[in-house]
Amino acid sequence: MNTRRFLIPVLAVTIALAVLHGQSQSPPRQDYDLAYIGPPLADPVMQHSKETYVLFGCAYCHGMNLVARGEATDLMHSALVGRDENANLIGPLLRAGIPQTAKLSPMPQFSDLSNAQIVDITRYIHYARQLGRYKELFEAKALGSGNAATGKAYADQHCRSCHQGVTDLSQAAKKYSRPSLTAKMLHPDFLDRPASWKLDQLHDTTTAEARQRHAHLLENYTESDVANLLAWLESLK
Amino acid sequence: MSPATPLTRRTFTFSASAAIAGASRSLLHAQTPPGNRSLINGVQFGLQPFCYHDLPMIPENRPALFDRLVQNGMGMVELHATWVEPRFTTPGVSARQAREKLRDWRLHAPDDHYLKIRQEAAALGISIFTYYINFNDTMPDEEVDAIFRGAKLLGARGCVGSYGLAQAQRLIPFPARHGMVLGLHNHDNLSDPDAFSSEASIVKGLSFSNDFKATLDTRHFTAANGDCLGFLERHHERVSSVHLGDRRKNNGRSTPFGEGDAPIIEILRMIRDNKWPIMALLEFEHGTLRPAVPEVRLMFDYCKRAVV
Ligand code: HEC
Ligand code: HEC
Repeated sequence: MNTRRFLIPVLAVTIALAVLHGQSQSPPRQDYDLAYIGPPLADPVMQHSKETYVLFGCAYCHGMNLVARGEATDLMHSALVGRDENANLIGPLLRAGIPQTAKLSPMPQFSDLSNAQIVDITRYIHYARQLGRYKELFEAKALGSGNAATGKAYADQHCRSCHQGVTDLSQAAKKYSRPSLTAKMLHPDFLDRPASWKLDQLHDTTTAEARQRHAHLLENYTESDVANLLAWLESLK
Repeated sequence: MSPATPLTRRTFTFSASAAIAGASRSLLHAQTPPGNRSLINGVQFGLQPFCYHDLPMIPENRPALFDRLVQNGMGMVELHATWVEPRFTTPGVSARQAREKLRDWRLHAPDDHYLKIRQEAAALGISIFTYYINFNDTMPDEEVDAIFRGAKLLGARGCVGSYGLAQAQRLIPFPARHGMVLGLHNHDNLSDPDAFSSEASIVKGLSFSNDFKATLDTRHFTAANGDCLGFLERHHERVSSVHLGDRRKNNGRSTPFGEGDAPIIEILRMIRDNKWPIMALLEFEHGTLRPAVPEVRLMFDYCKRAVV
């Protein structure tokens, strides 16, 4: 994500918690592995999701930041995770486990978890995957060598349904320098706006869908998709 | 849903009389040598360092590992080779080159390298029960011999790791040459005919050689719907240790001790009451928000209450 945007709220919450903490009890908490789990995330829903991911043992095999240990699948690059929406694929897989396998230790089944726990775990997996993919793609070496025509074809298929009237992407190309354009395309600012619980916004499906779609794109772009899209966007200037 | 855990196990507490008996025994323990720090009422406990899930298993972290073992009151460890052997996977070195360098190191490692580690551990009252390494076909015979030699220098009684029946068959001649044993360790893969998972598969492996001993992993055996107590009753003479931890049946997840289907308390009491020389090596991989040392302490306390 836009690292600065992302870090500031995290730091703010960490500091706030540290201050609160300092007021109530001075010794650091013995019962919470801050070093391993990391500082609390700004969004309490996501923090809870992350802790659920840790508590049911996923982090042990698949890694806190999806860098897998041992023989577990790399969830950062798994095609199944990339296709999943709201646990529609991960959920049934967790309930069944993967007992038929050539692996030494099969992936266990988690049929005893509640639906909410499975949704929480999946939410964190997508979040961590988006962070990781953003970093990988933003730092990719070959982003300068895209093909505009291929980029246009990709955009016709994946972007046009929203970006005709809503936001004119050619404006974005003019507005931003190369690195910011890459950043905004991978992770537009609106994704960082905290979700509102006001009744008149609770059922805003348009934004929810746009969030979902952009997150899904980020989880599935290849390096050359991004390079081609950038070449196309810059040709619109 | 897996069936609810019986209430008796969850609510297990030790009785007053057991507590008194434990107190008088703890006086005795004050005199036991530090290597037996975790010998409790005749049950020798130890730890599989996988439990410290946040601690990468590399030589640089060995002091931290030993320090944690002492904090956790452990006098015995099953030490992975990765805590002992130098790493050759540095940038610019291919996986294949690194593998060759490691083999070369094993073949020529000075005795001192192992002896020093043994002393490091002994000075802290820790004995190395077994040396954990996954034998495989990339290891020629002389490399396997070199690994056993290193393990022996560490003071280990045997080598153990994760491999199947075919590899075990190949390893038949090795332990005897070094006066050691080979541990057969089960997972819960019932779909792989080569894997150690069911009672039948472990018994088949044990039949290959008298130098083979089972390292019965209670978590995986339970997840594979095995009967841990029945297994111990029938085969205790061929069991050198248990990897003690909890999981749910039917390939279920790992849980904190007492929340799964593994009969941990009963296993420990069986070992205690029959005076079997079976080491109880704590090993778990359930998730927790607690740091690793307090988590091990909690799980160890659960086990201690079972045997006092
Ligand atoms: C004991 C280690 C272990 C634990 C704990 C574990 N996994 Fe896995 N997981 C694996 C292994 C091994 C595989 C690959 C299985 C195979 O291919 O046979 C896997 C595969 C997966 C896959 C399939 C990915 C793909 O592309 O096919 C998903 C999704 C997954 N795990 C999610 C989870 C979640 C979520 C949790 C926690 C609720 C979890 N796992 C806990 C070991 C583990
Ligand atoms: C489901 C609808 C939807 C789809 C599909 C979609 N977007 Fe967006 N996109 C949005 C919305 C909504 C915004 C936020 C607009 C705003 O903040 O004014 C946005 C913002 C952006 C921005 C940032 C614009 C700025 O000025 O900061 C870029 C760049 C962008 N999208 C690129 C793309 C690309 C490239 C694709 C296809 C690969 C795509 N989008 C697909 C809905 C969508």
